[in-house]
Amino acid sequence: MENNQTSILILDDEPIVSKRLRPSLEKKGYKVEAFTTSKEALERIEEHEFDIVVTDLKMEGVDGMQFLTLVKEKYPDTEVIVITGFATMATAKESFTKGVFDFLAKPFKLGEIAEVIARAEAKRKRN
Amino acid sequence: MVPINFNSEKKMRLRSKLKRMFFGVKKETIPFRIIFAEFKKSLELNNQILDLIADANDKLSGDYIFDEQYIQKTCHRLTELVQQLIVTINHLTDQKYTDLYTNFHRIESEIDSLLSGRTLNQVKDFVLPYSSVSRDLTDSVGGKNAHIAEIGALLDLKIPSGFAITTSAYLYFLDDNNLRNRIFGIREKWRHKEIAVDEASQKISRLILDAEIPDVLKNEILSEAERVSKEYEDVTPCFAVRSSALGEDEISSFAGQYLSCLNIPLNEIPQAYKEVIASLFSPEAMEYRLQMDFRPHEIMMAVACQMMIPAKASGVLYTYNPVRPKEETMIINSAWGLGEPIVSGEVPTDHFVLERRPPHQARELNIVRKDQSMILKGCGGIAIDGVQEEQRMEPSLKKDQLQELARIGIRLEQYFKRPQDIEFAVDSQNKVTVLQSRQLRLQDERAPRACDLTGLGGKYPILFRGKGIAAMEGIGIGPAWILSEEHDLNEFPMGGILVARHATPQLARVIHRAAGFITDIGSTTGHLATVAREFRVPALFNTGNGTELIEHGQEITLDTECLTIYEGVVQELQYYSIQEDPLEEMYEYRLLRRMLKKIEPLNLTDPTAENFTPAGCRTYHDLTRFIHEKAVETIIDLNFYHAHHRDTQAGQLLWDYPLDLILIDVGGGIEGKHEKGIRPEQISSIPMQAILDGMSYPGMWDMSPAGVDFSGFMSSLTRTSPIRSTSPEDVGRNLSVISAEYTNINFRLGYHFTVIDAFVSDNILDNHIYFRFSGGVTETTRRTRRTRLLAKILSHYDFLCEVHGDIVVARLKRTDRDGMLNRLFLLGLLVGFTRQLDVKMVSEDTIITFFNEIKNIMEKKNGK
Repeated sequence: MENNQTSILILDDEPIVSKRLRPSLEKKGYKVEAFTTSKEALERIEEHEFDIVVTDLKMEGVDGMQFLTLVKEKYPDTEVIVITGFATMATAKESFTKGVFDFLAKPFKLGEIAEVIARAEAKRKRN
Repeated sequence: MVPINFNSEKKMRLRSKLKRMFFGVKKETIPFRIIFAEFKKSLELNNQILDLIADANDKLSGDYIFDEQYIQKTCHRLTELVQQLIVTINHLTDQKYTDLYTNFHRIESEIDSLLSGRTLNQVKDFVLPYSSVSRDLTDSVGGKNAHIAEIGALLDLKIPSGFAITTSAYLYFLDDNNLRNRIFGIREKWRHKEIAVDEASQKISRLILDAEIPDVLKNEILSEAERVSKEYEDVTPCFAVRSSALGEDEISSFAGQYLSCLNIPLNEIPQAYKEVIASLFSPEAMEYRLQMDFRPHEIMMAVACQMMIPAKASGVLYTYNPVRPKEETMIINSAWGLGEPIVSGEVPTDHFVLERRPPHQARELNIVRKDQSMILKGCGGIAIDGVQEEQRMEPSLKKDQLQELARIGIRLEQYFKRPQDIEFAVDSQNKVTVLQSRQLRLQDERAPRACDLTGLGGKYPILFRGKGIAAMEGIGIGPAWILSEEHDLNEFPMGGILVARHATPQLARVIHRAAGFITDIGSTTGHLATVAREFRVPALFNTGNGTELIEHGQEITLDTECLTIYEGVVQELQYYSIQEDPLEEMYEYRLLRRMLKKIEPLNLTDPTAENFTPAGCRTYHDLTRFIHEKAVETIIDLNFYHAHHRDTQAGQLLWDYPLDLILIDVGGGIEGKHEKGIRPEQISSIPMQAILDGMSYPGMWDMSPAGVDFSGFMSSLTRTSPIRSTSPEDVGRNLSVISAEYTNINFRLGYHFTVIDAFVSDNILDNHIYFRFSGGVTETTRRTRRTRLLAKILSHYDFLCEVHGDIVVARLKRTDRDGMLNRLFLLGLLVGFTRQLDVKMVSEDTIITFFNEIKNIMEKKNGK
């Protein structure tokens, strides 16, 4: 096992997001786990700490804001990146106050999210 | 009946016409500023629509992650904008174009039903002969039919005679028997784990097999089968009835899950049809579709009916060894008789391994003892029969047949841009027929990205690199074929790389044969670029002098992602070239592609063509294009040809440069009288003066001589013939509405459109400049150098810049009079200058060069 591999959890209820994102990130050497319901993602978060969490904001059940709040409470060092189709300044600002690393509006480019993840990874390594 | 608006609109039109006839009331009662406001609104809508289409098209490039919500939102917004645009043109023209609503509503409802997941892009026909099947019809005939028909029609390979029974027939059959909801109900039970997949499968199959085929459908199938079998008078017509389900051919591991019925006599086709349809719900297929995220409306079966070929030998060809693709070999398995037991692995087969590289030398020839074969039984059915003793140890394929198959394999692979899994039959005259061809999924790890393959340059000689723009990314390998007077396009060889001076639309004619395109001149927004993307043919345009650096007949490898051309065949890249993310596996991708078919294609390219009418509009883009043309035409007609308005005067600009520009003055923009035209010194509109100063700056207008493309391009912007000799219906006029402080310019440059809207006064708060440059044809997937150069210059001079695909929009406000005029001078420079950029921007370095050139001019002008 490579211990220095950066681990990423992706949560988005639109399956296409993880379907596209996962192989693209795996190709870059990340260890990726993807979920489409916040319930499953929460269960996984309970047992494992991820370096980076990528989550949608607007979902059924526990919404992304609650999810990322819980993640940050449990693991303050985990970097959270928010992706959402309901991009408004208000939600973006709110997520920043929760300690979110960065914010991406859907649709976004694979290259854009890869760049944000690389920055989050660099920040974690510095700390 | 409810009175319809349309009628009242018609009446209004008639009434105003009568009024004009009898009382001489003219349109001039409407002040020009109101008409002009409508005109500007139409331009604004036009721009918004094109921006949205360009953005949506960009999403298909594979670079983006987008969801269904995005597609919904984009389509709804487009519908809204196009509707507003139709309202606006009708205001502007006194309800002259109300018939635009007919096609608009048709497209709107097609889009809605695609979005709601009720339908796909289907034709209404129940059966289609192979001669009228193409890949555009995949949603109607399924992948297998579409592929085989395309192979026969375009690649000139022998295929079985036959026809497709469409997905519309499938739905008709279900609905006539009231089965759709019942099947859906059973499927839902299974999806919610209430029943097992086997039980669900059996229940659905029973429903289908017990149903009756409606007479209309049955008769259409039988009469088409009769028509096909008439081509073969001497044999008893028997058919293979095969599945051609949606999504079936996109991945070969899905093959074999559906039924094929062989040697079916004509009158038994309907029964076989039902059996094939029932196999759509085999347990394996149901599980597979769940994994592929198929929506209920995508679960449909078209059927292929093909004349049986009494095969002497049959087999399967893989264009790569799927387990060890790096060995660069192809594999053929074959045996005597029909192919079914070979495909299903029931009989021992001869095994041949050939090199992929011509002359396809054999690496392995493994001949087995073949005791049995499957043959056709006289009329109907098949049988297993003993092979004659002397044939049992003989190879089932001869050496020249192996060679022919290898060539066919490579050709199909080049055409479909994927490794292929091909079934074939050899008839008694030793002729090879392709029965089907589908993508072969390789098991190996994905190859590294082409750019990561470091050190290739050391291993293979590079002809040139870093030149040109990729119109379609990818790898193309083949002999270079240079288009010239000695080489006629009709002689372009299969698998060649076409090297030409200009990326003209005519080259698209050989798209089916081309492994790549390289041109000296051309832009990523042209027709050829669009076609190259549709067919995934790598294309590198604007190399400057590629035709001089490449030799005719030379074997080359084109890597458009790294803008590199190698001499010879670069094996590492060849392997990479056929590995790609299977975007088709995403529902959202399929949906967006279907939507864009209704929105984006531009059929109305020529305003003088017969189809340039409301009835000719087949997409939102067509509607938008038509309305834009008519809006400009209306303004010019009203003010120039008829001079209806007392409050305006109009005339053509008389200039040293051949710019065909009509000026409409709405107040204080022109001084003195004009008879034959307006001289530049008569223009008192300050923004217009500044723009013309920029355009006429020495060197901006006539730089170096350009190629043929360029002169054609010039003539659409500028016309040397006097304007009076062209009719009002003529095309490509440039229009400017001016006043003392205001200018609105609409330039058309072939496909390109430039808009400048500026107000300059001593009040800083009122001042604004809006500049828009667009490629017009929006199929671009990436920003061109020209776009980036414009954005760089404009941002440097304080404009707020936005780039959508090939469109640049720049805005400037709150700047004083002199600052505004300085920027308008800059825009004038750019308008003169950008006309040449398509031709000149051959490398990345040119961005800096041109940027500095413009900066120097500006500094010189401002005395720095």
